[in-house]
Amino acid sequence: MDKKYGVYICKGCGIGDALDMEELCGVPEEEGVSVKTHDFLCSKDGVEFLKKDIAEGTNTLVIAACSRRVNFDIFRFDGCIVDRVNLREQVVWSHPRSEFPALTEEQKGDEEHFDRLQMLAEDYIKMGMARVEKVDLPEPFKLENLSRKILVIGGGITGISAALDAAKTGYEVTIVEKQASLGGYAGKLRKQLPLTDPYEDLIPPAIGTKIKELEGFSSITVKTNTEVARIAGQPGEFTVTFKKPGDKIAFDVPYPLPDDMKLDENGKDLDVEKLAEVYAEYNKGREDILTIDPDGELFGAVVLAAGWRPDTLAKADLAHLGFGKLSDVITNAQFEEIAAKGKITKPSDGSEAKSVVFIQNPGKDDDADFDYAGSVTSLVALKQAKYVREDYSDGKAFIFYQHMRTPGLTEYFYKNIQQDRGIFLTKGEVIKIEQRGNALLVEAANTLLGEKLQVKADLVVLAAGMVPATFDDPVVNLAYRQGPAFRDIGLFDGYSDSNFICFPYETQRTGIYAAGCVRRSMTMEESIEDASGAALKAIQCIESVNRGVSVHPRSGDMTFPDFFFQRCTQCKRCTEECPFGALDDDEKGTPKPNPTRCRRCGTCMGACPERIIGFADYNIDSIGSMVKAIGVPSEDDYDEPPMRVLGLVCENDAYPALDIAGLNRLSYSADVRFIPVRCLGSVNVIWIKDALAQGMDGVFLLGCKHGDDYQCHFVKGSELAEVRMQKIGDALSSLALEEERVAQFEVAIDDYDKLPKMINDFVEIIEDLGPNPFKGF
Amino acid sequence: MADTYFVEPDLDFIDEVSALGGSDLKKCFQCATCSVACPISPDTKPFPRKEMIAASWGLKDRLIGNGDIWLCHNCGDCSTLCPRGAKPGDVLAAIRSYAIKEYAVPKKLGEMVNDPKKLPILLAIPAVIFIVLGVITGLLDFTPGGSEIIHDHFFSTWLVDLCMIPASMWAVVVFALSLKRFIADIHANALLEGKTKKEKIEPIGFVQALIKIIPGILKHDKFNECGENQDRTTPHMMVLFGFIGLFIVTAIFFVTLYIFQIHGPYSQLNPVKWLGNIAGVSLVIGSGLMIKTRLTKKDEVSTYQDWFLLGLAMGLGVTGLLSEMTRLADLAWFSYTIYFIHLIFVFSMFVYLPYSKLAHIVYRTVAMTYKEYSERT
Repeated sequence: MDKKYGVYICKGCGIGDALDMEELCGVPEEEGVSVKTHDFLCSKDGVEFLKKDIAEGTNTLVIAACSRRVNFDIFRFDGCIVDRVNLREQVVWSHPRSEFPALTEEQKGDEEHFDRLQMLAEDYIKMGMARVEKVDLPEPFKLENLSRKILVIGGGITGISAALDAAKTGYEVTIVEKQASLGGYAGKLRKQLPLTDPYEDLIPPAIGTKIKELEGFSSITVKTNTEVARIAGQPGEFTVTFKKPGDKIAFDVPYPLPDDMKLDENGKDLDVEKLAEVYAEYNKGREDILTIDPDGELFGAVVLAAGWRPDTLAKADLAHLGFGKLSDVITNAQFEEIAAKGKITKPSDGSEAKSVVFIQNPGKDDDADFDYAGSVTSLVALKQAKYVREDYSDGKAFIFYQHMRTPGLTEYFYKNIQQDRGIFLTKGEVIKIEQRGNALLVEAANTLLGEKLQVKADLVVLAAGMVPATFDDPVVNLAYRQGPAFRDIGLFDGYSDSNFICFPYETQRTGIYAAGCVRRSMTMEESIEDASGAALKAIQCIESVNRGVSVHPRSGDMTFPDFFFQRCTQCKRCTEECPFGALDDDEKGTPKPNPTRCRRCGTCMGACPERIIGFADYNIDSIGSMVKAIGVPSEDDYDEPPMRVLGLVCENDAYPALDIAGLNRLSYSADVRFIPVRCLGSVNVIWIKDALAQGMDGVFLLGCKHGDDYQCHFVKGSELAEVRMQKIGDALSSLALEEERVAQFEVAIDDYDKLPKMINDFVEIIEDLGPNPFKGF
Repeated sequence: MADTYFVEPDLDFIDEVSALGGSDLKKCFQCATCSVACPISPDTKPFPRKEMIAASWGLKDRLIGNGDIWLCHNCGDCSTLCPRGAKPGDVLAAIRSYAIKEYAVPKKLGEMVNDPKKLPILLAIPAVIFIVLGVITGLLDFTPGGSEIIHDHFFSTWLVDLCMIPASMWAVVVFALSLKRFIADIHANALLEGKTKKEKIEPIGFVQALIKIIPGILKHDKFNECGENQDRTTPHMMVLFGFIGLFIVTAIFFVTLYIFQIHGPYSQLNPVKWLGNIAGVSLVIGSGLMIKTRLTKKDEVSTYQDWFLLGLAMGLGVTGLLSEMTRLADLAWFSYTIYFIHLIFVFSMFVYLPYSKLAHIVYRTVAMTYKEYSERT
């Protein structure tokens, strides 16, 4: 595209009052670029003013006005490259003239005084101009064979609900169920928790009606006694191979080599050929991930509703409760089986069990969650206590809990159960269970009755949590180089994690959306609701892939990573670091991109030591040029030149937080230049080196929290950046530069009030270190 | 405190307490707002939280012999503030009703007194006794005649005393039997729950404690600490003092009759008569106010036991005053009939006292005495 540039500076919102417009216009003019000002650029008149120029051929606009986070719809011009220079929130609003005074006539031109604010604005315009020179308009990536079908893994209440929801919106759905019939755990119960108002009483299992409803849809295919051998390809064109459970087939998914197998006998890394050989041996009989099953079925997206299994309680930990030794001490899942069959009886002799003790948090003396618990286990105890009362008018059910969680409307259920005269609840720790004649003697301490209690029981029921199916098995069996399961699933106890609050249903694999008990232990009501969410996510995914745009969080982004393969050194860093497993390398290690798996975070770009990965509008050169556009005054210019600090700012939380700080008129150093990045994971160290090489005094990264409770929108980005920053520290010291010149800070979007101190403190550290010795070279 | 408590919930107990006005007891979720709200609960081992969980667990043995249920004056502050609407005040009242039934012997009579269907029989009993005894002894004269209405001529004072002395003795004996168990139980419970350090009950100390608390009872000190139902203090005081006044008057007349051989009716100018009239009026107004409160206050549970007692108090006062007024108004047969009914009420009061809510006068006094004696804080 032949670019015709135009710079447009808005004078509204205080910009014109604070800045010297004439000088500002001088920046593009010096470069021979047309520049215009307007009093109110986002007004109808202002937009017409821009459109007139566009009609006359301007197609690359640098709009210096407000933040790109506002008025984005007003300043969107199809077919044009637009850069938004943030003169409002991050220049004039956050740097009041009272603190950053303009120069008087006498001060102008001397070597002692300079106008920090004007310098800041001019730098930002230069950076905007540098960027638009280096970016292109994106062209969407389109798949050749797009499938709009949705695969639902799991035929329980969640899977069936998801299939129904998707089918009702007009999508074709296939449900695969490992068992011989649909229903899952929901089909094995006597009764279930209420689903509708007044949320008080148990209801017959709802699964039957759901299955009936399902039969009415011709667009839903059900494959029972079937499991997924592999899912290959990418969203929009997942090639799925099915098989009978237990079968071994050629398209069973291969597993990545364990780390110790990647080394030779001396502990050194195997070379590429040897590695390929070991890998082939390790996965003998299984086709490589890049081989596509010719008989595979195409799907657009996947809903993972594989459900759960009851936790197996450790007998050793529960010996004092007689678990594993006394046959009348059972788990809640075993109790449900007995209840579903008929009257509650004792496993030991089949006699009536009229006094039943339910123990929540078995073996624990605090109210912390026990493994795989949640509110469901509390609710199940209440439900099962009711069974005892249904069966025997003189039946008694005791619940010893450390916590009783009945969130939301389930409180009504709790209240109703509590009303039953034969159900007795107390907080307490059960410390001992012994056989006494034909009965069990249960002893509990720290009860609400204020003393140790003994209760005679016919049956004791221990609460066991709900272990997600993904704990035992990858289930999804992805033909991805990073492996068949969700990555780091062990960190999340086997739950298919993505950021729980920000992006429910999403997993670390694009196009695969988890619902129900693979996400956390849930009631059926919650699972049904969850199923709707995941089904909608799957539809969103298909409809985004269809248009060649990204899914959340960069929804609608048309760019995708472009590789300059000639210079690839097959280092595999991009394949390994991609948080979404978007890249599959071949046996030589050359990455094969799967654009629809990509979420456009740019982590691959940040990882690539050869700098061969980039996006149409975001690449090494575009950001690098912005860095180079920053003016670095030296002693040649002023007696005491100001410091120059670069801030690489994550666009998800940190950049909005800076805008909010501006909105709240919080001021901070005017010597810092911010460049928004898609994610700290996309920060390539070359930018930092460039900045320091041209004499900038410090660089900091501002991004999301990482660790177990990460807030990174791309899961791994800020964590990877941290690792890279540590490495750059070593490089700096070898250049005799202080490590302190580069830092990384974590912020959340609501930390805007902490930003000024964070920024100023860093600038202060840099000032104490003194100017970069490379300045002026 | 006992090391380990073997719990055996009594489902029938839960049902009965529910039927006696504690039907919300299972709603308790042990937040202890009630114990904090209660203005008269002791600082250590406060009620009614612990009573609420014991009740919802059907732990009869922890409640019936628990002196704390009698320290409660049913202020209602706890019920008003209870976030779950479990009405601890009413639950404790129901447990007290249950306890009264449990301690009074014979139990059969206790059940009858607390059963509205048996009320006609209960009232018929004194009527039959009066008529049978009167006819046998000839002390009941259905044709008294004479120009002046003298109740003695219709229903001989000898017959009155022939009936009432055994009736009152009955009450004393039943109470004596009940209290023997009751005091032993509340002491055992206090030791179990660590509410006292006294190992044994010394009779002298106990009587001293009783003397110490009586002024407080008369002044309604505890009642006055209540927030929600403080307006009940005055009517309760009127009823209590009405009863006391009438008791004094009856005692004086008893003495004058048997020692000084002076028969009634007495002159209206007699100061003892004044006291009797004032006490009667006080009883009627007091019980009338309480009935009105119970009728208008719908958030508080009113049970048959409450109405039985209020009906009795009101009945006693009204028939007493009416028989006097009709006598003065010269309505002979009307007056005799009312007098007969009045005597039925008096008899009922004595005989049914240990089984009705009125027994609280004894149990609460004893429990408060025990609290004083045991130095419970």
